[in-house]
Amino acid sequence: MKFISSDAIPELLEALSASSVVWAPRELTGSGGTVMFERWRTGDPIDLEHFSSLSAKDVVLPRTEKLFGYTYAFGGGLGGAFGNGAPAGEQLVIEPAEPAPPAVLFGARACDAKALDVLDALFNNPEGEAYNDPQYQSRRKSLTVITLACTTCDEACFCSSFGNGTSEKAGSDIIVYPVEGGLLAEAVSSRGEALLAEPIFEESEQAPPPLAETARIEGLERLEEKLPRLFDDMDFWQEISERCTSCGFCTYGCPTCYCFNIHDEMRSDREGERQRSWDACMFALYTQETSGHNPRPTLAHRYRNRINHKFSYYPENQGKILCTGCGRCIRGCPAGLDIRDVLRAALEEAPREP
Amino acid sequence: MSELVSDIQKILGETGLVLGWAATGAGGVAAPERFHTAEEAEAAIFDSTCVHNLAVHLPRLKARAVGIVAKACDARSIVELIAEHEIDRELVKVIAVTCPEMLDVKTIWRRHGYGAVIEDDGGELRVNGELVDRAAYTQAKCLGCEERPSASISASVRLQLSEDFQIMNVEERRTFWREQFSRCIRCHACREACPMCYCRDVCIMQTSDPHWTGGGINAGEAEMMQMIRVNHLAGRCTACGECERACPVGIPLMLLMEEQNRAIYEMFDYRAGVDPEAKPPLLTFDIKGDGWGEE
Repeated sequence: MKFISSDAIPELLEALSASSVVWAPRELTGSGGTVMFERWRTGDPIDLEHFSSLSAKDVVLPRTEKLFGYTYAFGGGLGGAFGNGAPAGEQLVIEPAEPAPPAVLFGARACDAKALDVLDALFNNPEGEAYNDPQYQSRRKSLTVITLACTTCDEACFCSSFGNGTSEKAGSDIIVYPVEGGLLAEAVSSRGEALLAEPIFEESEQAPPPLAETARIEGLERLEEKLPRLFDDMDFWQEISERCTSCGFCTYGCPTCYCFNIHDEMRSDREGERQRSWDACMFALYTQETSGHNPRPTLAHRYRNRINHKFSYYPENQGKILCTGCGRCIRGCPAGLDIRDVLRAALEEAPREP
Repeated sequence: MSELVSDIQKILGETGLVLGWAATGAGGVAAPERFHTAEEAEAAIFDSTCVHNLAVHLPRLKARAVGIVAKACDARSIVELIAEHEIDRELVKVIAVTCPEMLDVKTIWRRHGYGAVIEDDGGELRVNGELVDRAAYTQAKCLGCEERPSASISASVRLQLSEDFQIMNVEERRTFWREQFSRCIRCHACREACPMCYCRDVCIMQTSDPHWTGGGINAGEAEMMQMIRVNHLAGRCTACGECERACPVGIPLMLLMEEQNRAIYEMFDYRAGVDPEAKPPLLTFDIKGDGWGEE
């Protein structure tokens, strides 16, 4: 194990920010105690005590990102019916997005880091083997994750229901443990090892502190089979979702929800930017089709999709549950909805006779 | 059996559904609950953690008879919904409750951990057994409540913020809001928690044709979105504070609302949600009517 004193942490972040964008949790001023992962700049305080209101997923899935820029330039175009769609006599010039700079995520929790591992299954696969998302992949590959191990947890935490809980190492490069006067640091990847070789980290014989054990729901893996049998039981979904007011916080605060919208933002009729932004399956517009038909016409349909995607479709397609038990959707829900009540109800519910 | 439970059971006989609260939230706080039977209704509670404005559900239930437990500020939303003919007075049965000052549960939990046990005997407030400053954890809207003037008003952090805001010039206000909106994630929790935002799935903020607002999540779009929302609530906001309570990133949205409500009151002598027979000023085209300050 290595050790870094609390006083040296700003120095570490300063050194890291020379070559990387550094993300760290910070309580925002005038925000009623909201803690978010923000780009760290010299002098910024960090908050390693409170749990952040939103996850750290911005680091790999920005709220809004440029996919490319476009401009119609005079000359060379073949007209709309041929090829590139530019008006006759004009040419469509595409300006690719700049590659993401290397980044360091400092102070993520095990549930945040594991979420990256879960998302990798979809977005970050070897070329040619399965789908990979170039933008996600370039961010992910240049990201160093320094995870703060949880020695305490709260009532919304339920990561112990998934695999290794608070001692989960997937997705992390370094795990840091809070101890008297600073942090113990343990490398879990070669990238982490290289960073811990820096002289700012001292050798230490100290043993890491015991980690928190969160509440647990047994049998979540059974939902992959169970949920499809509840699919048509609209009374169940109706009852489960009736407290919900249909905002998108549970998905936007979630470390694993990745749904997005692709939209063009025009600066003029000649130029603009194609962007990708967070979108949420809890919004009606998300599935609204051009014809006017909406395959998920009610809140109950949308809620059903959210639960099924996390606990049935994604496990079926990617082999991993799309939830890490971070509890943010529970802490932040304005209507007091607790996803664990829904999961327990789904586990207990016998499919009704048709 | 409490009076509330028997009231709910009585109304259930007429409506078959009552919106209220039960102590089913984390740490034993209140969570919104729907009661269908007398037996279910036995779980009903009302205390200082019943923060939600349940009137938000009424426009969705407008085709059926429904009972609703309502605080004074929630009742104003119900009145305004009736004034706008969004709900039918005959179908809604209101069970009015006298509220204590409501607690800011979100802030308590941000400071003391989610699910920390809250004990409130009406005088002393304890969190996890430890005595805490009540005023620091009281809902801002209660500190300025016109229905129930409060003793702890001087301690309000929120009023301080409001006063600071009053002395800012336009440029300073712009900077203030830009910073606040820079953390908006456009989750629309403010809109969905608002009883008066009943356009729901056809909201101007999310229509694709015409495309009124951009799709990006950034301070500029968030500012545009909030300005539209505030304007659409002119003369309609009942100051229940749900937008601000629902905001997961702590944007003080009620500062905008209070400012506008004040302007509406000065211009039209109108407070939303007070008289079900009243015509909301911006829903009329009576340009020569009273209240325009014209002779």
